[in-house]
Amino acid sequence: MTTATANRPLTERLEPYIAIIGPMVMILAILIFMGVAEPARYFRTTNLNLILLDAALYMPMAMAMTFVITQRGIDLSIGSIAALSSIMMAFLIKQYGFSVYIAVPIALMLGALMGLINGLIITRFNVPDLIGTLAMDLVYRGFALVIAKGLVLARFPDFLTDIGRGQIPGFVPIPVLIGIATMIAGYLLLTRSYFGRYTIAIGSNPEAAELTGISVKRHKVYAYVLCGACAALGGILLTGKLNAIQATSAPYFNLHVIAAVVVGGTSLFGGRASMLGSFAGVLLLSMMINALVTLRIEFFWQSVASGVVIVSSVALYTWMQKKDRDGTGGWLAGLRTPDGQKMLRFSALLIGLLIALLAVGGLLAGDPNPSG
Amino acid sequence: MADNPLVEMRAITKRFGGVTALQDVDLTANAGEVLAIVGDNGAGKSTLIKVLTGVYQPTSGDILIDGAKVDFSSHAEAITYGIDAVYQTLALADHLDPAANMFLGNELTKKVLGIDVLDNKRMRAETERVLMERLGVKLKSLDAPTESLSGGQRQAVAIARAVYSEGLRVLVMDEPTAALGPQETARTLKLIQTLKAQGLAVILISHSLDDVFEVSDRIHVQRRGQCVGVVNTRDSSTQEVLGLIVGAEEAA
Repeated sequence: MTTATANRPLTERLEPYIAIIGPMVMILAILIFMGVAEPARYFRTTNLNLILLDAALYMPMAMAMTFVITQRGIDLSIGSIAALSSIMMAFLIKQYGFSVYIAVPIALMLGALMGLINGLIITRFNVPDLIGTLAMDLVYRGFALVIAKGLVLARFPDFLTDIGRGQIPGFVPIPVLIGIATMIAGYLLLTRSYFGRYTIAIGSNPEAAELTGISVKRHKVYAYVLCGACAALGGILLTGKLNAIQATSAPYFNLHVIAAVVVGGTSLFGGRASMLGSFAGVLLLSMMINALVTLRIEFFWQSVASGVVIVSSVALYTWMQKKDRDGTGGWLAGLRTPDGQKMLRFSALLIGLLIALLAVGGLLAGDPNPSG
Repeated sequence: MADNPLVEMRAITKRFGGVTALQDVDLTANAGEVLAIVGDNGAGKSTLIKVLTGVYQPTSGDILIDGAKVDFSSHAEAITYGIDAVYQTLALADHLDPAANMFLGNELTKKVLGIDVLDNKRMRAETERVLMERLGVKLKSLDAPTESLSGGQRQAVAIARAVYSEGLRVLVMDEPTAALGPQETARTLKLIQTLKAQGLAVILISHSLDDVFEVSDRIHVQRRGQCVGVVNTRDSSTQEVLGLIVGAEEAA
């Protein structure tokens, strides 16, 4: 980026690239750290394949979620859409003897239909995106549980396992190709189509979009339909990868995908979209989780790590985008204001009470009684 | 004045329920002329131009273009008759570049494998051309998002969007200078003069009498939903117009 010609301030010159720099810096940090800590195991071809295979699962959904978030929306139901459409596909194949070549498109259509329902609920009944998709997440998950009744459906035709975990000899896995193809399609859709252009306009200024004659509601519905179809594709990839599906599969798709998109620089406040950033975000999260596994850190820590990455990257973007940094002496300066002092005392009180309670509990503690 | 005004509004009345926003208002606008509409808040300026641009339909009264009666059922229909507006908020999508904004809702496309694809290159070239030829404005960068432009440049983009349609004859500008500094205001007023010289009828709504006197040919004064006078800017004074606005003098 040092090649930029204008001699504007550094942050201003970097601004168009923030979306991609953020995740790239973090990816680089992981690479360097793993290069020092566990180079042999992390950089093995099989491990890199694993990372890509994991990332591929989320690529279609991250692509679609980029559109939804750019339109100032959010879709919390993709995990359940993935599970429900895959369960129905699995039943069609196992129970009703459908050909896999028909069942897979049916699953995609079902996902699109669920996305359509989401979109209509949000635009026609004016339910806020957050509440609408959260509620529909429960509905779809409920249906999946009702249909599957706790069954695990497994052993599918080769076509499914091929698209889920097939490997082109000497090259990347097939799902990676599918994932990258959807990201490229998403990039073209974002920059070259009416839908992409209007998506940014709607997120940037809904009133202006309405005034110029764009059908805001219709394009919002389109985004949710795309998201639903891509969630179904994610579900299909997962089914193929595991060669099994159950109603409780894909529980954290929504947060993982939203995290990847947000880390990639797409603004939750709408209008700012970066498909390349979403791609980098997906890669980053997969690399991070894989790094934790490689370092033999307990699996449960990945939830902690994902959360920390999301908070820090969103905070970083908001800080970078703030134009009126007045240089009042660093971020600790806020602690010296009267309001900061009150907040400090409040925090101290909370922590103090907690410590006091712990101390009392510790002093009065009797013999431990194990629960089992 | 010309015998046949470009736009004529006759005895326009607009009621919202029991509230009369406009009462028998007449308005004429001629090609190559800047008509300013002034008045206090709630005097009916905005309602009047919303009727003219087809956003509202009048309760009674006629709109004539070139002497022929027209009825607008929507803003889009008014645009087909060559009447467009630049709103105070400019209605720009700040994250898109100027070219995307200029063609928002009206994109240029090309066919790739039989599919309509946005032709970003041509839109950019057209934007550069329209800004230069019609408005004499050159932007430093057409790649930067619109939010990085100055207030006056943003205005230019919004105006360029309106003047891009070759059939445009009447441009309504709602408070174009309200949020601008002195330099940007001067530039915007120059833009208005440029458009006037190109034979457009410009209708300018403004609270700033200084701007109005600098740029307009005639001033239409609204008070409490009625037109209380139309004065020639050259023969008038701030005092007289102010008097009309607050109702201290009776209309001439």
